[in-house]
Amino acid sequence: MLAEGALAAGCRFFAGYPITPASEVYEVMMRELPVLGGLALSAPDEISSLCYCVGASLRGLKAMTATSGPGWALMIETAQYALMTETPVVVALIQRLGPSTGGATQGAQGDVWLAEFSTSGGYTVPVFSPSNAAECFELAVHAFNWSERLRTPILLLSDKEVGMTSEVVDNEALPIPALVNREMATANADYLPYAAQEPEGVPAFAAVGGEIKATVTGSAHDLQGRLRKNSPQVISVLQRLQRKIEAHAEEIELVRPDLDPGARCLLISYGVTARAARQAVVKLRSEGVRISFLHIQSLFPIPRKGLARAVAGVEAVFVAEENLTGQYRAALTPYLSGKRIYGINRIGALISPSEIARAVQGVMA
Amino acid sequence: MTPEAHGLYLSPTAKLPYCRGCGHALVVRQLSRALERLGLPPRSVVLTTDIGCVGLADALFPYLHTVHTTHGRSTAFATGMALADAILEAQGLKPIVMIGDGGAMIGLLHLVHAAQLNVDVTVLVHNNFLFGMTGGQHSALSPLNWVTATTPHGNWIPPLDLLSLLRTAHATFLARQLATSQELESTIADAINFPGFSVVEIVELCTAYGTRWNQASGASLEEIVRRQGYALGEVQTEMERPTFRDLYRHGMESLRPKRAKPAIPPLHAPAILTEEVRLVVAGTAGERVQSAAALFCRAALAAGLYSTQKNDNLSTQGSGFSLSEICLSPMPIEYTGIEKPDVVLVVSEDGWAELEDNGTVATCGEETLLLLDAQIEAVPAKGSVMRLPLRREANPKRAALAAIAAWLEKNPLLPAEAWEAVLELEPAERRAESAAALAIGRRLARSGSAP
Repeated sequence: MLAEGALAAGCRFFAGYPITPASEVYEVMMRELPVLGGLALSAPDEISSLCYCVGASLRGLKAMTATSGPGWALMIETAQYALMTETPVVVALIQRLGPSTGGATQGAQGDVWLAEFSTSGGYTVPVFSPSNAAECFELAVHAFNWSERLRTPILLLSDKEVGMTSEVVDNEALPIPALVNREMATANADYLPYAAQEPEGVPAFAAVGGEIKATVTGSAHDLQGRLRKNSPQVISVLQRLQRKIEAHAEEIELVRPDLDPGARCLLISYGVTARAARQAVVKLRSEGVRISFLHIQSLFPIPRKGLARAVAGVEAVFVAEENLTGQYRAALTPYLSGKRIYGINRIGALISPSEIARAVQGVMA
Repeated sequence: MTPEAHGLYLSPTAKLPYCRGCGHALVVRQLSRALERLGLPPRSVVLTTDIGCVGLADALFPYLHTVHTTHGRSTAFATGMALADAILEAQGLKPIVMIGDGGAMIGLLHLVHAAQLNVDVTVLVHNNFLFGMTGGQHSALSPLNWVTATTPHGNWIPPLDLLSLLRTAHATFLARQLATSQELESTIADAINFPGFSVVEIVELCTAYGTRWNQASGASLEEIVRRQGYALGEVQTEMERPTFRDLYRHGMESLRPKRAKPAIPPLHAPAILTEEVRLVVAGTAGERVQSAAALFCRAALAAGLYSTQKNDNLSTQGSGFSLSEICLSPMPIEYTGIEKPDVVLVVSEDGWAELEDNGTVATCGEETLLLLDAQIEAVPAKGSVMRLPLRREANPKRAALAAIAAWLEKNPLLPAEAWEAVLELEPAERRAESAAALAIGRRLARSGSAP
């Protein structure tokens, strides 16, 4: 469904390398893309996969690759290049159990930090995380749209349990967000490849091979794309790369709140664990626990608005995620001051609804 | 007027950012002349530069598209651009890569794959036997005994013969020239003009480090090359290979039409299920456990149910156990795991061993129904057990589906029409097999031991 979503979003280029549990996306793209007049290709490694995608995007196509933790580790240099050069590209990162080769056929939500905190300089990389097949489709379209609009790499953070589990989807009920395409530069003698109208704006795009000269560089550059050391222009470009994401943070935000105005506690989850959490909330409420639930679909930038609304008035916050150290909990902590924060964590298997309910009861009872 | 007069390529007065006597300056000028000779529109050329002193060249060509990349990856980015160009209606992009000997080695895979693909990319490898920008460290292309910052006693690792290696990857245009050669301009022009992948290894000297530590000068360059046993000139243009553009065009002609997913017809006889059921089917890899589960889920869908199917097997795929965890529900399903199974169907010892291993057996309660193949010796501690000779009667590859059918015979939650609807959509050769498996399962359940 993630691949179907990408195709619906207008993706016309895919380069991939086999890795469980991302190979399904690769196979669907190899089968379907040529039929749509696009190109899907086997790359000799993950570095090449993402380089090919970035190259294709520079030529003007919407491009995506799919991988898992070990492959993403190899792609990070190129993802930073896409960020620095403001080249739209989508990476589907289907998590498996790490570290290293880890467990290829075991699910995990252990790549949250590796996905987000992957740039020198600590730039915000938007990350969407689907919890089921229908969301794979919908969030893939959002990922492409934001990638085009902000000219930046976007991660779709799924995992084995979502990516390789079959489930019933009502195709006719799938929401298809309106498609967004990058703003193209128009013939203009004053075109500056790295200049935007506002300090948090996005420059218009000149495709390699088009009528307007494209100047692309991963080195620190001025508005013209010239290699310069720390000139004020260079610093302004580096600041704009972050500000353009922050300025759109509220718009990027995708959360599914289920709030109880009298709740004493809030349960937060994402990805596959959000499904167990939703079930746990039903159980807890039936047992008389006043609890709110926040299912976060856009992990980064942190959905501050939805979070603030959900957290208002509660004493305790629980964050359920399938990793050892509470990666997303740590990322949320600065926004939860004054609250007692509890992690519900496990590796090696899905976190079950009763496990979550027990953890909440243990504190709140 | 010539492009040069327009200032379209390299300006004759351009101040080059290179050390005095550096080979890079010669290459930049010859590249500009080669482009003039070809008369290529500047907007049809993209200069893709690598990291190192070669990476300064993009700024010298103000009218070409320029892409300054990461170390060693310039070829891969250029390949991506060429691949995309090959599928566009307005084609004709000419990517030219400028890379050093260091970049060629760290990005060797990209050169090899570009050669295999035969994309229209020209790579100019500036081989000055060392990493110049970082202080003169040796590279994989440094000659034997070459003195560098990191081989102060001389290099003792034999250099890589890049062109020979790329020949084995079916590169179609390979050439080696001295930066000082009169023929460099025409060789570069031939390489760019060539419709497939082309590489020109340009041998030159780094005057900051190469000539400082070695007895070498422009005059001795040729001897250095000969000593390595390398030939100069166009080394090979022998094969008539289709380019990637040709391959793509040809591939598009032989495309098979999009395979429409068979739609499951709506049924008028819905399932009889008011509460969620969670079951595990386990057996041996290669014995169609997961495909039996998938067929079951489709039948459930035909009967209006929601289902999820979560598979597990060893990463080798074709050996050991294979299992599916299935949830069926009249309502959309959230949690896809199984805290306590309602039904456990096990058709081989491999399957049973895994369920003991992964903890499923321990989660079974008194209400759990365990339907086991008669050959399984284990005696479950909890739950009601039913044993049927599934493997013997149905054969191992049909045992899982037969087990499902046997359980459904006792708990008739799906109407017969649901199975008929999905079997109808199966490939003909599978249909008879599946129907037989279902029939055997039903028969065994009717005659078999009651739990």
